[in-house]
Amino acid sequence: MELAVEMLNITKTYPENNLRANDGVDFVLRKGEILCLAGENGAGKTTLMKVLYGLEDHEEGTIKIRGNQENISSPMVANRLGIGMVHQHFMLVEDFTVAQNVLMGIEPRKHRISYDLKKAVTLVNEVIERHHFSIEADMVVRNLTVGQKQQVEIIKMLYRDVDILILDEPTSVLTEQEIESLFSTFRQLAKRGKSLILITHKLREIKAISDRVSVMRNGKMLGTYETDEVDERQISALMMGKSISFFIEHTKKDDESRPVIEGRKITVLRQGQERPLLNGLSFTAYSKEILGFAGVSGNGLGVLEAVLGGFIPTFDGKVLHNGKDITNIGTALLRKQGLAYVPSDRLHIGSSLKATVQENIIVGESGSFKKNGFLDQKRVTKHTNDLLQRYSAKATAQMPIGTLSGGNIQKVILAREIERYRDYIVFSEPTWGLDVASSQFVYEQIASLRDKGAAVILISSNLDEMLTIADRIIILYRGTRVASFSGDEARALSKEEIGEYMLGIRNQGDRGA
Amino acid sequence: MLENKNKKVLPTLREGAGSLLIVLIALSAVIALSLILSKNPGKTLGYFFLGPLQSRYYFGNMLNSAIPLIFGGLGVSLAMQSGNFNLGGEGQIYGGALITTLCTIYFAPLGIVGALLALFAGASTAGALAGFSGFLRMKWNTSELITSFLISNAVLLVVNYLIAGPFLDPSTSLIATRKIPETFRLSALLPPSNLSTALFFALVAVITVHIYLYKTKSGYELRMTGLNSRFAKYGGINTKKFIVLPMFLSGFLYGLGGGFAIYGTYFASIKEFSAGMGWNGLAVALIAKNKPSAVIPAALFFAYIEAGARSAMLHSDVTFEIAAIVQSIVFFLISSEVLLTLFEKKRRPA
Repeated sequence: MELAVEMLNITKTYPENNLRANDGVDFVLRKGEILCLAGENGAGKTTLMKVLYGLEDHEEGTIKIRGNQENISSPMVANRLGIGMVHQHFMLVEDFTVAQNVLMGIEPRKHRISYDLKKAVTLVNEVIERHHFSIEADMVVRNLTVGQKQQVEIIKMLYRDVDILILDEPTSVLTEQEIESLFSTFRQLAKRGKSLILITHKLREIKAISDRVSVMRNGKMLGTYETDEVDERQISALMMGKSISFFIEHTKKDDESRPVIEGRKITVLRQGQERPLLNGLSFTAYSKEILGFAGVSGNGLGVLEAVLGGFIPTFDGKVLHNGKDITNIGTALLRKQGLAYVPSDRLHIGSSLKATVQENIIVGESGSFKKNGFLDQKRVTKHTNDLLQRYSAKATAQMPIGTLSGGNIQKVILAREIERYRDYIVFSEPTWGLDVASSQFVYEQIASLRDKGAAVILISSNLDEMLTIADRIIILYRGTRVASFSGDEARALSKEEIGEYMLGIRNQGDRGA
Repeated sequence: MLENKNKKVLPTLREGAGSLLIVLIALSAVIALSLILSKNPGKTLGYFFLGPLQSRYYFGNMLNSAIPLIFGGLGVSLAMQSGNFNLGGEGQIYGGALITTLCTIYFAPLGIVGALLALFAGASTAGALAGFSGFLRMKWNTSELITSFLISNAVLLVVNYLIAGPFLDPSTSLIATRKIPETFRLSALLPPSNLSTALFFALVAVITVHIYLYKTKSGYELRMTGLNSRFAKYGGINTKKFIVLPMFLSGFLYGLGGGFAIYGTYFASIKEFSAGMGWNGLAVALIAKNKPSAVIPAALFFAYIEAGARSAMLHSDVTFEIAAIVQSIVFFLISSEVLLTLFEKKRRPA
């Protein structure tokens, strides 16, 4: 069996926290296989792949590519060796076309000077056709869906003749249908002799796509298994050390429930676009209830989040909080009114990465830590440490929040927002990119808020999540409500059926929520 | 406990390492330039490095020239920490100094109150100049970097006109306004140098800005807005306020710098007396990486290079431009940020 990659005894320590992210890790990738690299957040998967891709150095260990020992000091070296990586967060220029993005740095020239755009489109279209992608080379990236943007990233690698492809959490933002088509692309690539590594922690996907699975925990490699020979429970047990399944109790809306947040015919327009981003959306979020908004990304979920967060103005319609008009009053006033909100973009909006954990905790509440006109640092630190402990976040008050793992950053944000909450709270994609244990933690927090009487608005494109915790689900398609179900109704339906609503194939008509 | 301390010290050291390297490169540039340009490099270098430290006169003057740099450096740092650029320091110092001079002369009968009012008036005028750029950005999203620069250039011309025209003091051969009354001049330290007690006010300003930024609610909100304005807005901070206020304070500090230069050193607004102070304040803030506490050493370093060059020019055969060359090397290395991040690069996963 020909080997594409051999990594032997890789050790990598992050100096600032002395954390052994990789501890004597061995890793082997065969040519033409699809291998899932599984593990919880912080297990060291991404670090290992960054070492392979030349983004991180390592203290010990050797790397062999196709049998030759190599020193991969930068991504450029990795590219030359035919290794490519698609990051979890895309690196694309939104205003450029697909072709321009793919050919960045290797643009075809006309008369050796000017950019030959026509040729660029032809070249990229060839790759697209060869691999049956659904986009066209002259589309502008800004207008693509998340799934299509990911295709651009993959095409970028394929065009560069990469034959070892690393994908970091490739499915985390995709819909069921998009995932299926992505997987069939992967299978084709493998058939053509490319070797693929998927970093993931989704058990179902590991079973669905991979030939083999390597499991990491706490910086160590636990082993590599033929996927056929292990079941989900075994992989999960390896990843977590113990097995956990989500369990959230559902409650029926009782008589004490009252409307907290009401949306009345909310319409949002974008300049220069005819189709409204939100089109006359009405809903009522009751206390003691988790109201879920589901949909495929690009169909109004993000817009609804921005409206509730006060980031974009509505063109028409009203938002009411306990009957009081709070339409377009801006984020600062919404906060004063009692907005608690966990945003989907936790790295750019939900936190300030360079600021310390405690600075992140007191944002907007700094007024309550005043003493003789100054901030009472001791009380701030104490409050922060208190929260860190209660939410079991691994961090100290004084470290920059950007040095924490994704799961811990989300815990800090949750702690802050749950502390602030008065009668309603908005969660957007609350478990995006989190591992199983952290997700369970988030779900428990959400459920306990609901039990305490909160009106919870959950905006999520993750259908599993919706079905797990929502008491009522509204499905958005192209900015309008196409269906609404009680949680039990939704759980009785098949995922495919719900998917059809999300894709606009089915429509319930306005049935009232 | 010890381990904890190490954890704090190490990153600070690493951050400082880049700045230190830049200082070393700049100093080697001095040596190289002397070797190339001077017939007697040993003598030139001797005067360059030791000249500023040799006599009370030179040493005092060096400290004195650091004072406006401290005020300017603080002004820029404060704006930068809020995510705003104030490139109008030249006009703000000059304008602030003129208003301070004129007000002092008119408010002279009020005694100490008059002096404080005059300083405040000069600084507020400079603050308003910068704050206006902030206002434009808040209102129409114009670049405060461009407007502050353009406004400052216009102000320079207006002030030149006022000094040479309506407020010219005919009794001297300088193009300057009348001098402020002697009772208002700050007392000298280290005579015969120009150094005055303005130095203490500069130190007070550093401490005040430090406390404001790191110990108050408003300073906290200002920094949060600067670090990530989307996060600040999301958290409920009134981010619009922190476009105008930091610009105003930035100009205010520049204006104070101008005012204290009048009270401590020049006693009258002399045509173009402050030329270059604004830009050098910017360089100082860059070297200090916008940390108020680091502004003092950064300003001293800048003043030292200048004093060294002046001393070498007087006693040896190089020209004053050697200071400009060295300063521009520092400016370039710092603003390119390559060396500063050299030691931090591999710390965090990309």
